[in-house]
Amino acid sequence: MDGKRHAASFQQLEKLGEGTYATVFKGRNRQTGELVALKEIHLDSEEGTPSTAIREISLMKELKHENIVALHDVIHTENKLMLVFEYMDGDLKKYMDTQGERGALKPPVIKSFMYQLLKGIDFCHKNRVLHRDLKPQNLLINSKGQLKLGDFGLARAFGIPVNTFSNEVVTLWYRAPDVLLGSRTCFLAGPVSWHYNEDQIIRIFRIMGTPTERTWPGLTQFPEYKTTWQMYATQPLSSILPQIDALGIDLLQRMLQLRPELRISAAEALTHQWFSDLMVGQPGPKQHPQHLQAQQMMHPHGVIKQTVPSQGNYGGY
Amino acid sequence: MPVVRVFPDASVASTIASAGASPRDLGTLRSVTNENDENRTATARVTRAKAAATLNVDELAMPTKALQSKKTAVNANPSRTRAALGDVSNVTKVDAVEGKKPAGRTNLVSKAAQPTGIKKTTTTTRPVAEKKEVARKEPKRSGPGSIAAPKRKVLREPETNAAAKKDTTEELEPTRKKLHTDAADIKTKTDVNNKEEPVRKASLSPAPVAVEPKPHAAIPEAVGILEGEDLDDPLMVAEYANDIFEYLRDLECKSVPNPQYMSHQDDLEWKTRGILIDWLVEVHTRFHLLPETLFLAVNIVDRFLSEKVVQLDRLQLVGITAMFIASKYEEVLSPHIANFRHIADDGFTEAEILSAERFVLATLNYDLSYPNPMNFLRRISKADNYDIQSRTIGKYLMEISLLDHRLMAYRPSHIAAAAMYLARLILDRGEWDETLEYYAGYTEEEIEPVVILMVDYMARPVIHEAFFKKYAGKKFLKASILTRAWSKKNAHVYGIHDIDLTLDEVS
Repeated sequence: MDGKRHAASFQQLEKLGEGTYATVFKGRNRQTGELVALKEIHLDSEEGTPSTAIREISLMKELKHENIVALHDVIHTENKLMLVFEYMDGDLKKYMDTQGERGALKPPVIKSFMYQLLKGIDFCHKNRVLHRDLKPQNLLINSKGQLKLGDFGLARAFGIPVNTFSNEVVTLWYRAPDVLLGSRTCFLAGPVSWHYNEDQIIRIFRIMGTPTERTWPGLTQFPEYKTTWQMYATQPLSSILPQIDALGIDLLQRMLQLRPELRISAAEALTHQWFSDLMVGQPGPKQHPQHLQAQQMMHPHGVIKQTVPSQGNYGGY
Repeated sequence: MPVVRVFPDASVASTIASAGASPRDLGTLRSVTNENDENRTATARVTRAKAAATLNVDELAMPTKALQSKKTAVNANPSRTRAALGDVSNVTKVDAVEGKKPAGRTNLVSKAAQPTGIKKTTTTTRPVAEKKEVARKEPKRSGPGSIAAPKRKVLREPETNAAAKKDTTEELEPTRKKLHTDAADIKTKTDVNNKEEPVRKASLSPAPVAVEPKPHAAIPEAVGILEGEDLDDPLMVAEYANDIFEYLRDLECKSVPNPQYMSHQDDLEWKTRGILIDWLVEVHTRFHLLPETLFLAVNIVDRFLSEKVVQLDRLQLVGITAMFIASKYEEVLSPHIANFRHIADDGFTEAEILSAERFVLATLNYDLSYPNPMNFLRRISKADNYDIQSRTIGKYLMEISLLDHRLMAYRPSHIAAAAMYLARLILDRGEWDETLEYYAGYTEEEIEPVVILMVDYMARPVIHEAFFKKYAGKKFLKASILTRAWSKKNAHVYGIHDIDLTLDEVS
């Protein structure tokens, strides 16, 4: 990260993803042969370095963890900025599409990924960083079965309000219900046009049940509260996910609590009993569980049709 | 004292309008502008930026120029360069004419200061080579370290004074104190964790960081009593709060600038920096930015100046660029670059600002993870039952650390602790109990040197007018006026007797 390297140090290979603010290429370090992901950020001729890039670089430099994709280098050229990340074979979305049975992964794989995901999130939170855009496309996976959080373009060090009015692409699919409701936390959502929000929140209610003032005191005070909400009964998660055992369902239940104060934190979740069979020996599960290594990994750049729900697809970086 | 304003004129509102700010922003900006204009004299309208622009001393690509040619620039054309500063400096005219550095000095192009004779004191020391500086320092009081003897006593005393004159709004303290019975526990823990040494880049001179802060690291679970009611503020979420503050404490030593950097700046002096920061305070107010943004901007300025030698006529560019970057990092809606250009009175082009942005970011290695003192203040305020008055006064006191370079060596958490301590002292809010000590992470004794510097700053004549004025309004409880009166009255208690001298004259 000393800026000694320059763009020519890397051979640019195929494109992995593209968005309004960056393009991601696979690359190879000419000296070492090491594969990398090159995230090229277009510098705005008017406003200069995008705030997303400033935050992403600053935060990623701090976040050194086995479940967070590593930022190796930042390379400056005249009109672009190139971030050099460790190479990952693909993202969870692709992995589910190719390896899953209609998207569904095998329970041991789910457990391993869940654990690694929580480890990454927990590390972020301990370092006062909120990712704010967690979704399968941003969870990168390599052939060792490791899962790492990627694309911190929307991340923030917290204590500060988020960008409510920018044109940043925001995925609603994985937002917490209290955020969608416009809760006055510093995650305050707000920017997005309401009908998106509405649609999203109804999807959540369909499974978790529509909350009421009785189940969620203060609910009716939320800016986005609507008296017109259709009332849904809570669905048992076990009927939606029959392949997950009771412990797993219990954890999921805790993670999906509508009310933020009842929702389990990443740190707590890591100690949940569901993971007890992962805890072999010392801290954390074994790095590369057998079941994952046995399993055939996705093609690094397969011909899988991608149905990505958001506009910004940086290949997870 | 007639400090000349460096801020541009009333055209700000209209220029911002043309730059496409939202109507909401415009409305507020306009009102501020008008309010400020009432107090502005015609003579004050000339800005440094304007002067610099007229002189056309730039067209130099900032990086290389700043690094290579400032010596020549200063010497070859001292009067021209000075003219830019002439607007803003009125204290030591002699200095202004002869230029700051002794002619014999070599090593002007160096990236960092030479590690010259440095002492472990609270006040910044200058390399011996700078005779003028040394001479000027002589009448100065001998630094907080030497006053420290009466310690606790000294700090207690003014309290009684304050009690007589200040309001009596505080009733909450007694109950809070009872919460903490395990203070002894904490203390013991603390002593074990005193080893932290601020990490400084190799290129920086080994500056004496004044009074090494001794943060109380990880605290036993038992003390988490106050946690729990802060659902709105993730920083206060019980589960992660300790981890986070531990981490911030760890991080903060990495973002402390070199408090001696002026010794390698040939064209600048602390006074000049003070003028710049005072102007940035005004810019910050006009743009209605978050408090965090100001702190980050000043941190960027100082860390940049720790690494690079900057010419006088480029200093404002560094300042405005730092504010531009800080806004991008912190703000929900960062002002457009055109606003920054306008507010600097078109002294620099947008292209220059953008180029400076890249250079500054690269110089700082994109490390903007500066643990903002606001975070620490909020944390302490929690133990103070979020008392709005002490918090407001505390905010003002914390911002002194931006204007007074002598406070640069202290960590943000230390500044926040001292600010809250002094605010409570001035408001007569009771003792610095274990709860406060725990949440602040500093004992009374550790806080003392910082408090003395703050009182010292306030007791002296006002030289940073924008800053003083910002906090003189009702919105900020007339914090600057109130605290200044208190400080003048109590300065002697802290061994400060030369309060007629300005900060620039004593440092």
